[in-house]
Amino acid sequence: MDIIIPLLVDGLAAASLIFFIAVGLTLVFSVLRVLNVAHGSFYSIGAYVAVSIGGWAASAGLSPWLSFPILLISAALVAALLGPFIEATFIRYTYGKPEALQILVTFALFLIFEDLQKLVFGVQAHYQDAAMQVLGVSEIGGIIYLNYQLLLIALAVVVVVSLRLLMRHTRLGKLILAVVADPEVSVTLGINARQVYSIAFTIGVFLAALGGALATPTSGVAPGLGAEAIVLGFAVAAIGGLGQIEGAALAAVIVGLSRVIAIYYAPAFEPVMPYLVMLVVLLVRPYGLFGTAQARRI
Amino acid sequence: MLVLHNARVEFGGHTVLRDVSFELPQGRTTVMIGRNGAGKTTTLRTIMGLLPLSAGRITIDGQDLAEVPDHGRAALGIGYAPEDRRMIPGFTVEENLLLPTLALKLDQSTTRERLGSVYELMPELRELSRRPGGSLSGGQGKMVALGRALMVATRVILLDEPFQGLAPALALNYARTLAKVRDQRKDLTLLVTESSPQLLGGVTDRALQIERGEVMETTLAEARH
Ligand SMILES: Nc1ncnc2c1ncn2[C@@H]1O[C@H](COP(=O)(O)OP(=O)(O)OP(=O)(O)O)[C@@H](O)[C@H]1O
Ligand SMILES: [Mg+2]
Repeated sequence: MDIIIPLLVDGLAAASLIFFIAVGLTLVFSVLRVLNVAHGSFYSIGAYVAVSIGGWAASAGLSPWLSFPILLISAALVAALLGPFIEATFIRYTYGKPEALQILVTFALFLIFEDLQKLVFGVQAHYQDAAMQVLGVSEIGGIIYLNYQLLLIALAVVVVVSLRLLMRHTRLGKLILAVVADPEVSVTLGINARQVYSIAFTIGVFLAALGGALATPTSGVAPGLGAEAIVLGFAVAAIGGLGQIEGAALAAVIVGLSRVIAIYYAPAFEPVMPYLVMLVVLLVRPYGLFGTAQARRI
Repeated sequence: MLVLHNARVEFGGHTVLRDVSFELPQGRTTVMIGRNGAGKTTTLRTIMGLLPLSAGRITIDGQDLAEVPDHGRAALGIGYAPEDRRMIPGFTVEENLLLPTLALKLDQSTTRERLGSVYELMPELRELSRRPGGSLSGGQGKMVALGRALMVATRVILLDEPFQGLAPALALNYARTLAKVRDQRKDLTLLVTESSPQLLGGVTDRALQIERGEVMETTLAEARH
C-alpha cells in the first residue's frame, strides 16, 4: 500500500500537465469552433523554449530559483509570439469552414512545426531539471514526495480557478462567453469578435506552452512530444466534454488515476488507459462527462 | 441621416438586394413592408455589416460604413434587434442589457443613465432583470431585445419584425413602448420592418415597400392593400 500514494502523486502530476493541454484545446474549440491539431506543437515548443532559456541561465551561473520565472516567461513568450500570429495567418481562414478542412489545415501546421523544431533544436533529447532539484523532496509519514510534483498539481488547480473567475467576473470573460453563445449578435452589440478569437487562441497557446515548459524539469523534451500531447489532450478534452473547463480537469484526474491503477495491477496497460477510459466514457456519454448535445460551452 | 446608395447584396450569384436606395431621415420613423423573403432581414443585416455589399454604399451622416468594421456600428450608435430575439442564454436579462456598454467601454454614469432610461421606458424589464436570458418567453424576449438595442442606439435603431409572433395584448404593449420611445427620443431614427403594417399606424412617418429585393416609397394606406 505504501507505493500507492507516491504513484497517486505521480499520476496527478501527469494529469496536471495533460490538463494544461486539454483545457486550452477546449477553450479554443468553444470560442473559435476550431479543433486545433497544432495545439500539441505549442506544448512542445513551450518545452523547447523553456529548456533553452533554462540551459542558458544555468550555464550563466544564475540562481536555480530563477527557473520558475523562466518557465513562466517561456510560456508567455511562445504565446505572445505565436498566438496572435498563427490565429491571424492560418486559423482565421478556417472559421466557419467544414471540420475536415480545419483539421487538415491545423494538421499541416502541426507537421510544419514538427520539422521546424527538429531544425532549430535538433533531434536529441534536452533536459533541464534545475526547478525540480531546487525544490527537493519532502517526507510525510515515511513517504517521500517530489515537491515539484506537488507544485504542478497546485498550479493546475490555480488554472481551473483562474479560468472560472476570468469567465464569470471579468469584462473579457463576459465578452468571450457572449461570442461563444452568439458571435453575430455579439458583433452587433459592439464586441470585436476577431479580437476575442485572437485573445482566446493566445490564452490557449499560453496554457499549452506552460504545460510543456512545466513538463521539462521531470521529463525533458524530445521529438514526438507534441504528437503525444495532442493525442492525450484531445482524449482528455473529449472525455470531459469539448468546451468544458471543469470537465477537462475531472477527465485529466480520471485519466491520471486510471494510469496509476494500471501501473499497480497491470503495468502493460498503462499507455492505453487514457484511450480505454475515453472509449468507455464516450460509449456511455457521447458528448463527454460534462457535455450534452446543446450544453453551454465554457 | 442613414442613406443606402444603390446597395446590392448577392448570395452565391443570386441577387437578393437589387441596387436599393433610400434615406432614413433623422428623428423619423420608417416602416419597411414586404412579404416573406422580400429582403427585409437582408437589408438590416447589411446595414449592420453582417453581410457584404457587392455594389453601392451605405453612409451615416456622410460617413461611409465600408470604412467602419462590423462591430463598429454599435459605437456609432446604431442599435439592432434581430428578428429572433437572440438573448445570450447564460446571462441574466440585465447582463444582456449591459453587454453593449461593456463592449463599448462606456463609463459608469453613462451606463447607469442608459439602463435607467430603458427601465423607465419598459418597467417590465426591471422585474425580469435577474432572470436568465434563456428562460424568457417569446414576447418577453422581444421586449428585452428592444431594450438591448436601445442601450446601443443613440442615432439609429433597426427593428426586424418586432411584432411577429406576439399575442395581440403584447403587440399592443410593444407598440405603446415604441410610441414612448418616439416621444422621448426625438433625435432617434427608427427603421421597423413588418410583413403587415397594421400596428404601426400611430408612430410611422413614412413607409417603404420591399419586393424581391427592390425598394420603393409607398404610403401606409397603400401598403395596407
Ligand atoms: N444566408 C442566405 N443564403 C442564401 N440566401 C439567403 C440567405 N439569407 C436570405 N436569403 C434569401 O434572401 C432573400 C431575402 O431574405 P430575407 O431573410 O431578407 O427576407 P425577409 O424579407 O426578411 O423575409 P421574412 O419575412 O421571412 O423574414 C430570400 O429569398 C432568402 O431566401
Ligand atoms: Mg426577415
